[in-house]
Amino acid sequence: MSNYPEGTVRALLVTDMVTPATRAALQGRLNTSVHEPQFFEPQTYALLQAVAARLIPQPDRAEPIDIVAGVDQRLLEGKADGWRYDAMPPDREAYRLGLGGITQAAEALFQQPFLSLPEAQQDAVLEAVAAGTAPGENWQQLPIARFFEEMLAELTENYYAHPLAQEEIGYVGMADVPGWQHIQPGQLELREPEEVK
Amino acid sequence: MPDEEVLEEGVLNPVKPEIQDPLLQAILEENGTPATAPTGEEQPNPLPNPTDIVDCVVIGTGAGGAPLLARLAMAGLRVVALEAGPRHDARTDYATDEKAQAFLFWNDERLSAGKNPVAFGRNNSGTGVGGSTLHYTAYTPRAHRGDLILHTEFGQGVDWPFGIEELEPYYEELEHFMGISGPTPYPWDPSRRKGYPLAPLPLNGAALLMQKACAQLGIQTSPAANAALSARYYQEGIGWREACTNRGFCQAGCNIGAKASMDVTFLPLAEAHGAEIRADAFVTEIERDAQGSIVAVVYEQYGQTVRQRCKNLFLCAGAVETPRLLMLNELALTSGQVGKHFMAHPGVQVWGTFPEDIRPYKGIPGGLISEDTHRPKDADFAGGYLLQSIGVMPVTFASQMARGRKLWGQALRDYMVNYNHIAGINILGDCLPHEANFLELSDEKDARGLPKPRLHFTAQENEQRMNRHAEKLMRQIWEAAGATDIWAFERYAHVIGTARMGKSGDDAVVNPDGRAFDVPNLYICDNSVFPSALSVNPALTIMALSLRTADKFLAGLKA
Repeated sequence: MSNYPEGTVRALLVTDMVTPATRAALQGRLNTSVHEPQFFEPQTYALLQAVAARLIPQPDRAEPIDIVAGVDQRLLEGKADGWRYDAMPPDREAYRLGLGGITQAAEALFQQPFLSLPEAQQDAVLEAVAAGTAPGENWQQLPIARFFEEMLAELTENYYAHPLAQEEIGYVGMADVPGWQHIQPGQLELREPEEVK
Repeated sequence: MPDEEVLEEGVLNPVKPEIQDPLLQAILEENGTPATAPTGEEQPNPLPNPTDIVDCVVIGTGAGGAPLLARLAMAGLRVVALEAGPRHDARTDYATDEKAQAFLFWNDERLSAGKNPVAFGRNNSGTGVGGSTLHYTAYTPRAHRGDLILHTEFGQGVDWPFGIEELEPYYEELEHFMGISGPTPYPWDPSRRKGYPLAPLPLNGAALLMQKACAQLGIQTSPAANAALSARYYQEGIGWREACTNRGFCQAGCNIGAKASMDVTFLPLAEAHGAEIRADAFVTEIERDAQGSIVAVVYEQYGQTVRQRCKNLFLCAGAVETPRLLMLNELALTSGQVGKHFMAHPGVQVWGTFPEDIRPYKGIPGGLISEDTHRPKDADFAGGYLLQSIGVMPVTFASQMARGRKLWGQALRDYMVNYNHIAGINILGDCLPHEANFLELSDEKDARGLPKPRLHFTAQENEQRMNRHAEKLMRQIWEAAGATDIWAFERYAHVIGTARMGKSGDDAVVNPDGRAFDVPNLYICDNSVFPSALSVNPALTIMALSLRTADKFLAGLKA
């Protein structure tokens, strides 16, 4: 899937081309340990994991990047990013209602819990949520398109903040201690990985 | 501090914070430890003597507060700045990591309403010693003469109460004080008395692609003016600042001091002249005497309530917190204009995928500018806009791509693999004031027990026409540049208006000198006083107003 060699960011992180503050931020995300949900109930957390696995699928990774733990942690701490759509309830309530709505949609469309559905039908449920057409009474209290947008944006941010996802897209901007002298198109510095096609 | 809780007789104190939301109460009980004081070398300032009266308190240390803080201190006044956020050492504390830098943003929740709800947080709102300049992109174009006389030119919007002549000397001073890099002569204003002190910064991939395509289409471009140094520069109060290393992280904090944020320019200058800056100081109350003059400011710091008496107050908290404080304290409200005419710059972006290897994380994001669209000949709208090339950091890009394109699943990952081949252009356009766009206090309380602000914003006909004009032009440019998979993202940047400046207290909150019509010793200086939005990035003009406000105040003292 990636057009870049593996290990690029990890190799740079241990060099002095990365500042200690940058290294600390990125290394922390590489240390994997299983996150026990603290805000979500275990069942709801499993549902969110399943939804995330379809929104950002990682079939190429033996160990998928955990993009859901950060959501649980953030909601537990009650943290915000500075704003919220006025039409949306507070974030904790939005996730509860939205995940409940996904459960309702799965039952209405396929008469089964989302977790029991094959991938194609899970995708069909999420397509209906993205399109704003999913059935479910919870959507009367929650603007469906805004919920999908907010959840997708948060999971996407969690994914691309991870050093392995940054390796995947050929991003090495964190190795900036020497600065960048070659910034024109096609001009790479030695520490920038070449694309392999 | 029992002494400080005893109000003087006749002091009005309308703020009654309380927490009504049970969920919030629970959150506070679970995690409600207040910000702790810095440990080690950086000890909090000793609490002020409750009877001590300083000449001026300045609320906010961003582009509105910092320049005037320095000016007032240099005039020999006793000045204290109160900054809601913390003080950081950029060299050691800043990571080149978008998530880790989230502490730079004003993350208390604001409610965004209207048909085009405006994103806050990292989009436009900062906190910390230096305010939003800690994460501004440091685009520093000057406003044009026409920006200040929109009503005269078009019969729409409003004129500023003074002309560009009032700002020009301050623009000159700022460009030279901060070491702005830019083209001389400036192509769209060749008659300036002084050029930029430093040569422009180098052009990155997006800038060069835009330059070539615009040349084909007959659109004039130029390397942009930017408050990051293209060569090392001596800064009074701090010493040598080093040149920009093209790390492309301006919007998440510069860790080498090349970008002229307030923490490496005006604030050290102010401190060198005796100003005191108190960080982590969140102002809640502004106290007045029976005559309506301000006598003290009350703030929360490290879990304590502190009161600082003052002779004058400069409110420089930005176009959301400034009107929020005025409303909470029932201050300067007689014009009915506080919170009104909230404006946000149309900032449509157009993105494309190129065969070239661009690496959009290198170089200042907006290297190239065109102001040919300041007054487009074929415009069907009032005002105009400027064009800028854009590079982008990966998490910011992925996030807004997900919001804007709604790509998910394999399609999202397949698109993001092209990150190194993606470049953008965007606009920054004028926005007309409209009564449907305003700030109010909601019934929902935040963690401090204060009402969350709700901001209504709907792009009106003029903004929509401008967006269409700009999107069409930018698509043409990107097609000429060889882009494929071109898509547009409608967005609105900057927070402007809500405490407008004008000639009469009937329809404005502050007079042309920045003084509140209702309160003799209250000055407001930030983007909230802008009567119109301007067709350029606001930071340089906020700083110019800040110096001018200080000069007007000091002239009044001598008189």
